[in-house]
Amino acid sequence: MSGWLREVARTWRAVLRDPGVLLMLLIAPLIYSFFYPWPYASEQLQRVPVAIVDQDHSALSRQIQRFAQASPRLELALLTADEGQARAALAAGEIQGYVLLPAGLKREAGRGKGQVVPVLADGAYFLANKIVLLGFAEVLGTVSAGIELRQLQAQGQSPLQAAASRSLLNVELAALYNPHEGYGSAVVPAVAVLIVQQLLLIGVAMWVGQRFEDRSRPAEDLTLWSARTAAFASFGGLSASWFFVLIFPFFGYAYGGNPSGAALLLLPFCWAIAAAGVALGALLAERERAMQLLLCSSLPMAFLAGFSWPREALPAPLWWLGELLIPAVPGIQGFVRLNQMGAPLPAVAPQLLALGGQALGYSLLAAWALQRRSAAIRPAAGPGLPG
Amino acid sequence: MLSWVPLLLGFLMLWTFSAGLASRLPVAVLDQDHSAASRQLQRLLDAAPGLRLARPLADATEARSALQGGAVYAVLVIPAGLARELKSGRAASVTLLHNAQFATHSGLIQKDVRGAVGTMSAGIEILAREKRGQAPQAATQGFEPLRAGLSSQYNPALNYQQFLATALMPALLHLLAMVAGAWTVGRELRDGTSPAWLDAARGQVWPALLAKLAPAWLLLGAVDAALLLALLGLGLLPSGAPMLLALHAALLALYMALGAAVALLARSLRLALSAAGFITAPAFAFSGIGFPLMAMPEGARLWAEALPLTWLMQAQVGLLQQGWAEQRALPLLAALTAGALALLALAAWRLPRVAYDPTAWGKR
Repeated sequence: MSGWLREVARTWRAVLRDPGVLLMLLIAPLIYSFFYPWPYASEQLQRVPVAIVDQDHSALSRQIQRFAQASPRLELALLTADEGQARAALAAGEIQGYVLLPAGLKREAGRGKGQVVPVLADGAYFLANKIVLLGFAEVLGTVSAGIELRQLQAQGQSPLQAAASRSLLNVELAALYNPHEGYGSAVVPAVAVLIVQQLLLIGVAMWVGQRFEDRSRPAEDLTLWSARTAAFASFGGLSASWFFVLIFPFFGYAYGGNPSGAALLLLPFCWAIAAAGVALGALLAERERAMQLLLCSSLPMAFLAGFSWPREALPAPLWWLGELLIPAVPGIQGFVRLNQMGAPLPAVAPQLLALGGQALGYSLLAAWALQRRSAAIRPAAGPGLPG
Repeated sequence: MLSWVPLLLGFLMLWTFSAGLASRLPVAVLDQDHSAASRQLQRLLDAAPGLRLARPLADATEARSALQGGAVYAVLVIPAGLARELKSGRAASVTLLHNAQFATHSGLIQKDVRGAVGTMSAGIEILAREKRGQAPQAATQGFEPLRAGLSSQYNPALNYQQFLATALMPALLHLLAMVAGAWTVGRELRDGTSPAWLDAARGQVWPALLAKLAPAWLLLGAVDAALLLALLGLGLLPSGAPMLLALHAALLALYMALGAAVALLARSLRLALSAAGFITAPAFAFSGIGFPLMAMPEGARLWAEALPLTWLMQAQVGLLQQGWAEQRALPLLAALTAGALALLALAAWRLPRVAYDPTAWGKR
């Protein structure tokens, strides 16, 4: 046991002395932890430039203008009577959408006829599209409610009765876990898990890969390698803790929902990645090769993990690919539930199981890859010796 | 390796988004009213294509654990007394508890739930007005004086395959291009074979460099063309395909030249690969596709605008979805080509100095 612990300490020292591996395991997590959330610092998209095409020139259309100007979501960039001008501005990207107030709007609405007011938004960028449609829907809804209240009162209903009969059934929205519905709050906690995986995997495969470049190195037993894997896994735990404990609160994201649960889930998560890194390094036997191969995998993995694209919409084979082979996929599902949603441990039992299975599977793969290497070494190291 | 890995990853991403629109996201109802009205609302929810109604929940504790366990992304609470309120003509409301940590999911669910509740509300209102003696036609028209008729131009169905899969292809390929540029040149330095490489070209720098980079560029270009053909087959390339191919080819050349130049400046394969990781791996987050540039802090926006990928994305969205004329992308094509040439020139200038310098060899 003391020999095992000595090997853990020796591996820590070896990592600290290797600038390339040190960069991957300790420094890059620090850099990415600030670099990646940077673009989302404001969290919300506000004041999206829009146009109002006013062909009515009435008190009502001016009221709609005032409400649009007051909306925090919208920025009135263009006021015109010519729809062609608004279409051109939309095509040029100067505005993200517009509302068309047709001539006769006030007259018809005053007669109690329901009017559909066309709102057109750019569908090419989803987030801006959502904000523009929501902003105009709110503005028109408020103005419409005012008209209807006046009409119903004119028909002799009391204000209270009128307010109640306007819209009978409403939905109240309650945002859970990310109450301000911030963009970074939703994305970064998930991506952080993927960053931890990719850097740990590359760093470990780099160290192990270089070790096997020397084909005459004597074979070592698996106990020694289990100590090294534990040492590597501890670096994953360190960078994950950096994100979970310091970076999430620093950027104002939800954090710390179930710290002991997250600590427990980190064990199979980090071990699975470290073992996969050992296996990969032993198979590639070249220091820089893993980095070349793995850099391109982050983007496809991100969309298998179910935060920007629902896992329910994945084809079944891709669902299983993530569940069985990519630690970050059950990792993201599990850690977001524990850290941001404060789930109790039983709620992440499927993720715990998946990561436990991956940890076991990658340990076996690593053992096989290491045996294969040592089998290849022995004849070269001692030709002619019996056994 | 450089051909089948990118091809595989490209098709993997197309497959990821093959559903186009996420449908049947699981939601549950906590029905505390148990009335004809609450059952009607549940039927309307079940009929919405984006939703899948999970087993009804018995109480708040069950609702909480269904949300936390991820069994559902939202719970609609129908309060007791809803039917009574509606029958007596008073306004009532239901509450949607949605998991905003999964923002895409909850956004899609909100839209469908609002639609179902709106349909039900409108039906009740028309009935109520008819009861008060308004003619059915007047009642339908008058129940809301102004209603927003919301629609979207360009990608009107808000199809994710069209939105994301097309944008992810250049994001993936530009990363591969920079890695390939760094790898092909950096490996010569690591292995100390750079003098032999230059000698084989009789010391002529440009032929040596171009011959080294051209195979990978052609391979990645062929992969890009294959992926564009696949997009064309899926009907996701309505127009502008030739211009897009040209833009992608220039983008790949630029990022390959950048990888080569960084390898020669850093004199290290590993550092060049790390730089490729730093510049190209997070580039999609800065590209304005998911989160727009106008909402980024000043510094992040400057970094985003310094990335050629950001400009390519803008032009690609313009060409594919916003109906840009192809000429409108010509200045960008010229700029990307000029950038590629400038970076090649930088690499060509460094190459003889570094290639014959033994201190630049073997760095790990």
